[in-house]
Order: sequence, then C-alpha cells, then structure tokens
Amino acid sequence: MSNERESMSPTQIGLGILWPAFWTGLAFKLAFVLLFLALGMVHFETRIGLAFLMLLASPVTVFALPTITLGLESHLGEGAGIALLFLLAIPIDIWSLGVVGRTFFLERLRREPPEGLGLTLWWKCALVGAIFLPILWIVVSATTQGAMSVVHSIFEMDFLKGIPVAERITIELVLWGSAATAVLLLLLVIGVWLVGRVIRGTAESAPQALENYQGLITRWDLMRVPADQGLMLTGLTGGAVVLALLFWSSLPVFTPHPHECCKKPEVKAAPVFKPLETLNKDEKMLAQLAAQVELLEKQQAEAEMEKEKGKGKGKAGKAAVKAPAETAPAPPAAVKP
Amino acid sequence: MSHTPPTSPQPTIIEKVFDFVDERVGLKLLAAKMLNEPVPGGSRWAYVFGSVLLFIFIMQAVTGVLLMFYYVPTADHAYASTQYILHDVDYGWFLLSYHFWGSTAMVVCVFAHMSQVFLWGAYKKPRELIWLVGLALFGIVMGFGFTGYLLPWDQRAYWATTVGVEIMDKTPLVGDFMARFLKGGATPGQMTLSRFFVIHVMVLPAALMGLAGLHLFLFRSAGPAGPFRGTPEELKVKTDYFFPRQIWKDIVGMAVVFACICALAFWEPVVLLEEATPDPGDYHPEPEWYFLFLFQLLRLKMFSGEFGQFLGAMAVPGAFMALLAALPFIDRDPERNIFKRPIALIGWVVVMAAILIFTVSAIINREFLD
Repeated sequence: MSNERESMSPTQIGLGILWPAFWTGLAFKLAFVLLFLALGMVHFETRIGLAFLMLLASPVTVFALPTITLGLESHLGEGAGIALLFLLAIPIDIWSLGVVGRTFFLERLRREPPEGLGLTLWWKCALVGAIFLPILWIVVSATTQGAMSVVHSIFEMDFLKGIPVAERITIELVLWGSAATAVLLLLLVIGVWLVGRVIRGTAESAPQALENYQGLITRWDLMRVPADQGLMLTGLTGGAVVLALLFWSSLPVFTPHPHECCKKPEVKAAPVFKPLETLNKDEKMLAQLAAQVELLEKQQAEAEMEKEKGKGKGKAGKAAVKAPAETAPAPPAAVKP
Repeated sequence: MSHTPPTSPQPTIIEKVFDFVDERVGLKLLAAKMLNEPVPGGSRWAYVFGSVLLFIFIMQAVTGVLLMFYYVPTADHAYASTQYILHDVDYGWFLLSYHFWGSTAMVVCVFAHMSQVFLWGAYKKPRELIWLVGLALFGIVMGFGFTGYLLPWDQRAYWATTVGVEIMDKTPLVGDFMARFLKGGATPGQMTLSRFFVIHVMVLPAALMGLAGLHLFLFRSAGPAGPFRGTPEELKVKTDYFFPRQIWKDIVGMAVVFACICALAFWEPVVLLEEATPDPGDYHPEPEWYFLFLFQLLRLKMFSGEFGQFLGAMAVPGAFMALLAALPFIDRDPERNIFKRPIALIGWVVVMAAILIFTVSAIINREFLD
C-alpha cells in the first residue's frame, strides 16, 4: 500500500482533489446561482452548460473566465450576478478544497495536512487555471473549427455527394467530434496533471502521519463531524430558510422577459389552417362580391334608363346625367388588401 | 439529610404523540430499520441517484396536482388552459416549466442510476430482481414523458405524439391494437387526449408507486452492494450506517437537482407553439429529446422501407431491452470491478456514445430542415 501511495501519479492526485472539491462546493454555489437568476441579476447566453461549468468549477476558472471573456471576446452572459457569483465562490472553494485536501492528505497520501491547506490549494489551482484554461480554449476552438471545415470539404467531393443527408451528418459529426474530443480530453488530462504536480509539491513538504490505517480513518471520520453539531444544523437550516424566502419573494409572478443580450430565436409553427373557418370566410366573401356585382349592374341599368329618359327630354336634361363609370362605388372592405 | 429521588423530566406533547403512535405501529423499530442500514464501504455520492429519483417523482406529483387545478383535458380547452396557466396564473409559468424540466431530470437520473448499477455490477446475484423491477420503472418513466408531452395540445405535442404512435404501430401483432387503443380514432383527437391524460395522471403514477415500493423492498432485503474495489479490511473499517452521512449526501443531491431544474425553468421557460391541428404546415415533427436518437436512427437509409422501419423502431430497441433484462442471467461471473469486465465497459461506452452522437445528429438535422 505504501508503494501505491508513493506511485500515485500527479493526474490521480489532481483528479482526487478537484473532483470531490467540485461536488463539495456545488450545492452552495447553485443556491446563489438560483437566487441571482430569480433576482434577474444573471442572464446566460445559449452556452448555459459551459457557463455553468465555468462557475461551478471556479477553483480553476476564477481568473481564467475573465481572461477568456475579455481577452478572447467570448461572451457567456450579462449581469452583475456573474461577477458576484465568482466573488462568492472564492470562500466556498477555499473551504471545500480545505475539507477535501485534509481528507486526501490523511487517507490517500498518509501526510499531516498543513495549516491553511484550503487557501494554499485554492491559489495554486487558480493560478494554473488562469494560465492553462485560456490556452485550452484557443486550442480546442481552433481544432473544432479546423476539423469541421476539413470534414465538410471532404464531403463536398463529387464521389461522396451521393451520401444521404442523415448518414452524412452522423459521419461528419463522428469525424470532427472525435478530433475535438480527443484534443479536449488530452488537454484536460494535462491540466489535471499540472494541478496534481503543484499539489504533490505541497504534500512532499508535509510530515508523515504516524497512526495505523484504523487510527487514520477514525481521525478522518471525526474531522468531518462539526465541533458544534447543533450550531451547524441551526446555521444551515437558518441559511436555507433565508435563501428560500428570498427566492420566493424575488420569483417573478409571470414569465420573465429575456435580457437583450440573450434573446433566443423564436420558434414558430406555420399559421394554423382551419378548413371550416376558411370555407365560411370564403363563402362570406363570395356572397359580398356577388352583392357588389348585383349593385353595380342595378346602378348601370338605372343609368341606362336615365339616359334613355334624357334623350327623350332633349338637350336640357343632358348635363344632369352622369356616366355610370364615374359613380362606381368604393371596393368593399372584404376585398381591400 | 434526606435524598429526593431524581425525577425524569415530563415528556413533551410531541414525545407523547410519538409514543402513542409508536405503541401502535412500532415507529421506533421502523425508523431504526430504515436509518441503521449498513452501507458497506461507507457513504458515497454515486449512491444518491435512487433517492434523488424519488425526490423528483414527489416534486412532479406536487407540481402535477397544482397544474391539474387549472388544466382542462379536452381538445377544445387543453391549449387555452395551458396558455392560461402560463400567462394568467400567478407563478404558473414556473410551475409548468418546473414540471417540464423535472421530467427531463427524471430521465437523466434514471440513465445515471442504471449506469451506476451496471458499472458497479450491482445487478448480479442476489440482486437480479431489483434490476428487473428497475427496468420496468425505466419503462414507466419513459411512458410518463411520452404521455405528458401531448397534454399542452400544441403543434409540437400533437406531432411528437403522432410520430411516437406511428413508431408503436410498427410492433408486430400488438402494434396496430396499441396504436388504435392510444389514438382512439383515425387521427389524434379528444379520445387520444383523454386516454393520454388518464394514463399520465392515474395509471402510470399508481404503477410507479407500486413498483418503486417493490424496488425498495427488494433493495432492503438484499442490502447495498457496496463498492467494487477495496480490501475486506478497508471495506470493514469504512462501513457506515445509512444515517447520517448517506442521508446528508442524498439531501445535497436533491438540493442540487432542485436548483438545476429551477435554473433551467428560468433559462428556458415553457413556450407553446400554435394550437394542435392535423396540418403540420412548415413544422417538422419530432419527439422529445430523449427519443431523438431513435428518431434520427430511423432517418438512416438502412432503416427505410416497411421492414427497415420495423427493424429500427422496434426490433433493435426491443432486442436491446431484452438483453438488459437477461443481463443478470447471462453475466454470472461474480467479478464486479468494471475495469476487470472489459466487454461491459466497452458496451456501456459504445451505447452512451451512440445515444449522444445520434441525439446531436438529430439536432444538426433539424437545422438542415429549417
């Protein structure tokens, strides 16, 4: 077992700290995310999954996100809540890295956790993330774009044009997706390895824990039990009640309007075709038009009659009679454009 | 010097009520049995999915009952009453959006729970029955999604159901009967809505409650499988009771899922399309996202034609489900470590990758059609 501990790779160490730390802080961060969403302080764009990951993996993204947003002009969303969430995430991350780090040092590395371990691990992780994640962002984006255009140009070749659309989409996706995923995974492993190297440096300077396995497990177990359980329970319950009340009081009564930056394309079905209504409407219009024609014919007949009468009366009555074309009525409302 | 005997403090009202119930139903024993279940190897985050699923179901039931106060299950009023919930009822948009995203969360958690059981080898002897009942529960969850999708009675709902029923129609022997039974006529209409509504709010909840109870009973009888790695010494010293640590993890898991569903309700509140009509117009019918992979599979040339459609829609998924049901009886090797079961690991990765690839392909295909 001792050999196993000493041969732990930096990747294993990095993953062993970052993964549980991510989950430990998650619940607290999500509570704030929810509250800020209800208050309308956060508006995410379409890449909500990415934005969420950035927020929740904040031990490594706390400085990387501003770099990516400002330096690489990649917009995740709007609102003061995003910056505030990152600020609130700092103490949560320091606490969660401390809890996880102490457990990991005792149980897996058999080392005495040094004082202020959470803070040490936090700034080291944040520093590695600030340098490494923007590089990862650029490389993965470039690889994805490049792979997509290469695959697309391959399928533009004449002898491949006969492939049906569904098959073509799937093959293209598999090809460029595999390239992008492979690069992403490789870079993620390198990133975790870097974090692991930094943590191993901290662990090497820590003294060995002297108890046997049973003793270590007992210590590790007791470490997770709060000194004042009643106080912790009251504090957590109180916090949850306050957050719940704030949430319900700030929850919009009606559907909140999306922010200008984050409006989603509106999905609309074609206008509904109701056969019976359309038939009724058309019949009504035909009846109206028939009435108009009848009226016109009647007016024309009257005008003809007047003309005949006028001829009979002589030249004196000529001026009083107008041509029927000049007296035609205005088109009915139903046929107006 | 006189000594007064120490007197025990008077029991409070709550204690008296508790004792009263305990005397009659054995509450203390029940609580002890529920909470003192040993968890081999200690509590783990990987074990939270079962409890989270139960929580999501309870929340779906609560939001579903509240929605039923306003919803009218008739072809004439279903659409209007859903619009009324969305635009006129206080917090109605949130209730409906929570219910909608809750169904998605349920499907995701069922997949996660089944994956965890599969990867941990927890379906093996003596837990075969738990696995089989779990598969039935998976079918019920998919049924909830399918029947609930029609209820808003908009174009999306109507056509997703039409596509779904047509797929069902391809089942040999019973397909035609099932499709006619569900539709209740030549085209989806009032009868379809009534039947889907009854199945969604009465039949499936009753079936789910019964089977979930059986699932829990079988789980308690066999006990948790525990981790697949670790020496017996390690497992023994780390073994813990269900209360408090696993319960704490379960509560955190529930809070996380609740927050995620709420956040999704904010980000993408439910918006209805036009009212349902037998003319699709420019709308391209497609099912709910968790059936998209199957829908895309049916677009492939190899699954065209009458026989191809049957193969893609029924034979392949049916054979896959049959294989899952037979799994505990085929895989009799007691080895549970997933890294020592290469076929199982590769199989799981292939299935997950295929579902992901075909789902994303369907989304890209949608852009092609638009």
